[in-house]
Amino acid sequence: MRARPYSDPYVTGACLGLVLLAAFVITGRGLGASGAFATTAAGLTHAIAPSAADANPYFARYLGGDGPWRDWLLFEIAGVTLGGFASAWAAGRLRAEVERGASAPRRARLALAFGGGAVMGLGAVLARGCTSGIALTGGALLSVGAWLFMLAAFAGAYLAAPVWRRMWR
Amino acid sequence: MTAPWVETDTTAGALATAAAIGVAFGVALERAGLGSARKLVGQFYGTDLTVFKVMFSAILFAMLGAFYLAQLGVLDLSYVAVPETWLVPQLVGGLVFGAGMATAGLCPGTSCVAAASGRGDGLAVLLGMFTGVLVTGLVIEPLRGLYESAARGPLTLPGWLDLPYGLVMLAVVAIGLAGFHLAERVDSARAARAARAAGGAP
Amino acid sequence: MRWPSRRRWLLGSAALAGALAPFAGSPYRRASSGHGAQRAAGAVDVAELARAVADEEDHVSAVELAAWIRAGEPRLRVVDVRTASEFAAYHIPGAEHIPLERVATARFADDETVVLYSELGVHAGQAWVFVRALGHRRAYFLRNGLHEWLDDVMSPTIAEDAPAEAQAAFERVAELSQWFGGTPRRLGRSADAAAEQALRARRRGC
Repeated sequence: MRARPYSDPYVTGACLGLVLLAAFVITGRGLGASGAFATTAAGLTHAIAPSAADANPYFARYLGGDGPWRDWLLFEIAGVTLGGFASAWAAGRLRAEVERGASAPRRARLALAFGGGAVMGLGAVLARGCTSGIALTGGALLSVGAWLFMLAAFAGAYLAAPVWRRMWR
Repeated sequence: MTAPWVETDTTAGALATAAAIGVAFGVALERAGLGSARKLVGQFYGTDLTVFKVMFSAILFAMLGAFYLAQLGVLDLSYVAVPETWLVPQLVGGLVFGAGMATAGLCPGTSCVAAASGRGDGLAVLLGMFTGVLVTGLVIEPLRGLYESAARGPLTLPGWLDLPYGLVMLAVVAIGLAGFHLAERVDSARAARAARAAGGAP
Repeated sequence: MRWPSRRRWLLGSAALAGALAPFAGSPYRRASSGHGAQRAAGAVDVAELARAVADEEDHVSAVELAAWIRAGEPRLRVVDVRTASEFAAYHIPGAEHIPLERVATARFADDETVVLYSELGVHAGQAWVFVRALGHRRAYFLRNGLHEWLDDVMSPTIAEDAPAEAQAAFERVAELSQWFGGTPRRLGRSADAAAEQALRARRRGC
């Protein structure tokens, strides 16, 4: 396997912490990701079935104010995508690939990626966030629920990982 | 002017700031290698503890930075939104989320980085995540009881434990450094084993 | 196991910053012009609160409260948000006094049911928003305040020619009223009862 020249994890972690700190200082809020998915879901549902969307207690939150598309997290996630692309491009890490173990079938990996993503969606709705929004932001601000979520997420991951070990052989 | 500087979340300036912060976030994630599902799942198979090192370093530095900026009067911490606590939904949601993350190999933010780097699995996770959020949002009604249980508002560890903020921070730093020490031992032991295996091959 | 020097500097400074932290005091204090005012940051989910109001999950009636008090409802806290002198003059039995300006720093346990009341209900309604914003969910207020307590619990009335169901309901309220030392009354005719109700209603707000 080709060696990947990633930077020292503690240094990149500290840089990530500085980005989070910059968010606190400039905007008074932290980072996030799942909220962008929620606001998109709310916006699309509203476009297709406005009254159903308005009646839904979960989507209603995103439909108020200036609407679902003028959402802080949505713009932030757009930035994340752009930044990820730029960094990968600059480091020569742009590559069309489906990451998986050498003997794992492509289709199975894609199906599991989709399914795992859907399950994460459920978890993120219940918990009101994901690793970026809760674990990183809430962790740095010592929120009780954030640390609880982080521990639970790691526990859930360690419990589920052995089931899919074959995907990475 | 005391930080935070930008007041509302939806002005054009605030949204542009969001995008800019997002770009920095995406760059940091990609450079840390977290845009790679292979690297991410390595955490949960014990082969690559980068996830722990990066996440905990980020938390430590942001936590310490916010604390000291607040002490210096540069940042007014009471204006920084503390993510709220819902004990039961976050415990259950966390377990579910973690299981999904180990299955998918990426989390929501890193799936965007992976997709932007050309990874097909990143795109699949992204689409799956959206589907999951959409479906859950549509059928949230029967889950309302669970969803709204055990709310504690913006509760912090120092508040809950009734301990000084700095003391709790010190404990977090100590746990982090101990964790890093252990992680390095695990990772270098594995690297040493791999080197020995490679060296011993005919 | 050697650690590169950049990493050592980074983690070393984190360790130092952590070690110094307990000596620094709380980070939550006034950053600029300090006159030491206490800030209690709450989070207001307006949609959620509005829904609670629409679903009528924000208030209780005086009769309900009276029943809870008599039944010895565990973990019930009745909070009077008026001034100290008003509280001393008369308060609902078992109530405690937390004036409105101190509601921000009041602490309630998660399993406690908080019922707030004021003279007419306006300040109690405000206090309800504050308490909910601070994260305490089991909070209610007496919508028409102490006047509702005095009218409906301490001196409930009914017209003599009222229908049977109303009479039966009145019996239960009367019994409750007497337990609190109140004076339930039967009025002569419906017109008198109506006049009495109108008088009471004019005293109340929304």
